[in-house]
Amino acid sequence: MSKQLQFKLVLLGESAVGKSSLVLRFVKDQFDDYRESTIGAAFLTQTVALDDGTTVKFEIWDTAGQERYKSLAPMYYRNANCAVVVYDITQSSSLDKARNWIRELQRQADPSIIIALCGNKSDLAARRQVTQEEAQKYAEEEGLMWAETSAKSGDGVADIFTAIAKKLPTTAQPAARAGAARAGAATGRAGVDLNKQNAATSNDPCNC
Amino acid sequence: MDADGNFDVVIFGTGITESIAAAALSKAGLKVAHLDSNAYYGGDEASLTLEELAQWADSRQPAAAQTSPYLSEQRNKFTSITRSSTIPDHPRQYSVSLAPSLITSVGPLITSLVSSGVSRYGGYRLLERVGLYDSAVGIRNVPGSKEDVFKSQEMSLLDKRRLMRFLMFASGDFEDKKELLGHQDSPFIEFLRTAFSLGKEVSEAIAYALAFCTSSTDPTLTALQRLRSYLRSSGRYGSSPFLVGHYGGLGEIAQGFCRVSAVNSGVYILDRPIRSIISSSNSVENTATPTGDFSPSRRDKYVVELEDFPEPMTADLIISSASLLPEGLRETAHFLPQQTSSTVLSRARCIAIIDRPISFPTSLRADEDPSPEPASVADTNPVPSVDNSPVDTSVVVFPPSSLEGGSSTSAVHAFITGQGSMSAPQGKYIVYLSVPMDETQDTLPETILNPYLDAILSLTVSPSPEASIPPTPLFTLFYAEHPSERTQSTSTENKSSTVLVSPPISTALSETSDAASDAAEVLFFKAIEILKARRREAWTVREGSVEAGSGGDVFEELKFWPPLDGDPEEEAGEW
Repeated sequence: MSKQLQFKLVLLGESAVGKSSLVLRFVKDQFDDYRESTIGAAFLTQTVALDDGTTVKFEIWDTAGQERYKSLAPMYYRNANCAVVVYDITQSSSLDKARNWIRELQRQADPSIIIALCGNKSDLAARRQVTQEEAQKYAEEEGLMWAETSAKSGDGVADIFTAIAKKLPTTAQPAARAGAARAGAATGRAGVDLNKQNAATSNDPCNC
Repeated sequence: MDADGNFDVVIFGTGITESIAAAALSKAGLKVAHLDSNAYYGGDEASLTLEELAQWADSRQPAAAQTSPYLSEQRNKFTSITRSSTIPDHPRQYSVSLAPSLITSVGPLITSLVSSGVSRYGGYRLLERVGLYDSAVGIRNVPGSKEDVFKSQEMSLLDKRRLMRFLMFASGDFEDKKELLGHQDSPFIEFLRTAFSLGKEVSEAIAYALAFCTSSTDPTLTALQRLRSYLRSSGRYGSSPFLVGHYGGLGEIAQGFCRVSAVNSGVYILDRPIRSIISSSNSVENTATPTGDFSPSRRDKYVVELEDFPEPMTADLIISSASLLPEGLRETAHFLPQQTSSTVLSRARCIAIIDRPISFPTSLRADEDPSPEPASVADTNPVPSVDNSPVDTSVVVFPPSSLEGGSSTSAVHAFITGQGSMSAPQGKYIVYLSVPMDETQDTLPETILNPYLDAILSLTVSPSPEASIPPTPLFTLFYAEHPSERTQSTSTENKSSTVLVSPPISTALSETSDAASDAAEVLFFKAIEILKARRREAWTVREGSVEAGSGGDVFEELKFWPPLDGDPEEEAGEW
């Protein structure tokens, strides 16, 4: 029996550390050297199949640039099951920023959130400013998952998402998109999905 | 922000109206910078944690140390603020709304939510119950639909027939019906009693609990129009016409619209007050046409500088909430008029936290519908036929003179919501009370609303039959909210201005959300009109905005919300 679980994953990290590239590699297996800062999609989805037959569907939220001037809305963290906090191994300051984001997550997000710290641009190891030991030690202290990735080469990208998928609770009701399912589960009734109107008694939705 | 900091529009304020406008303008391909001097989203419609709410209240006290033009405006807008000194446990688990509101299931805001894609970001629940306060019995159920009327055991057959006839009338096109002729402006209750021979109790229930009238003199036509929109809304997502947004409603929804703007390359900068705005006139000529219409020859640009922010921004157009409008722009700004007829009134408001649910009578439960149709809710759990779980989200209506010590002229609509709308921790409920205030009297909001809060507490479920401790609120905040004084220009009407101020929106519980969407739509089209006149040549080349190849007049067909594009991830079928 296979079952599919859906989880909300939020991305965090300083601008230009490769958050969107990481997702693009994971979701579409693509990389673009000259990618402009984040544009376009409200969220992307990708599914990971686990060995036990469970499939985990990630609903991946990008910051849409709202992190740049510390203007990320609380809504961004709502119902997030997991977070990937990205730093650039060639910029030691980006790890400091990552620490700030992790503190922010610990303050804002659900306490059960799974956080993965991700050192991106491992293909540029020659210009490394953040050692693996330093990042790993910090991750262990804070109870975070940790990995290095290269969105450019693809190294480690699928692995970190798979590792997160394995760590997510397979029994609990995932906090699904729109909170609708969760609200329904929490209260037994009255969660509403605005995109699904009541077919049985549907009125003309036109309001003219 | 691009290297040169150039924008089409700079928007001040992340209130619900400005946020919807920002999303629509960004989606239309315009470059938007959206700023707020607050550290939070939502402006005067924000959703705040209890700590943030306490801070919000304290910073608006007249004697508070901090000053700024914005805070001075806020201190005129919000007065007579009193709050509990202690804040309950888990203050971060509350999302308290500064603008509590119900969302009609068929209406402008729902249309904006669905058409913009914002509906996929947040959660909603149905308003479970609307009850009418009756000092003798507590809460009376309100028959909200034809099914309810049919099932009611409290009404005689004759009454049922009369009520049915009225509900048919009210849900149809009544504008030209003979019953209404000559009565458009007469009091609605009087109309119900004379034109439809309805009894006093039924008339009051219709006026205050179904049509959300606030006084016995509310005019018939507007009450009927409201009622029709509510009757037509019921059934879309469930039997209640109203939805309640999770995490404090409009404040959270505003964040959703801001995200849509950001996803469409809107730039967000919060927590930075404006340092200066300079209007740089680099035009050859600087004249408005004699008719006052906008003249495309005007080429003013605004240069906006923020505190603690290195680069200045330039914009062709400024949109501002009334609260954040810089004083220096007031004289030349175009204050857009209110879209609905009902006046924006001063209100006494109360926000209270209680730890017991409201006890409703058991019959007429919205989700006890025995009909075999599938439940309208997205949740797949079958709805149990007998549900003893407490009512989470409800409205209790106090008609005028229904409460000793209460108002004899105004109805009070108490809105109560808890964990079910993700606004409070388990077992806690937020009570919102509000009533229009007569500004000529200097009665304090606390004095006006305390009897209602006591009545609400008396309607709660006791934790055990023996419990003798009278219920007390865990937290209260009382304040008066006045319409912004900045709703008019100091000079003549600046129809050609490139500074637009958001129209005032109704502060009534059932009207705010739709009024905001209507206001945003007006802002959007006005902004497009201005920018189109100024930058005609630029429109056709902007990438990713509008369909290419339709020449210079692409804006003729511009819609408030273009169809959601077919990004397969975004539009995945099962969503």
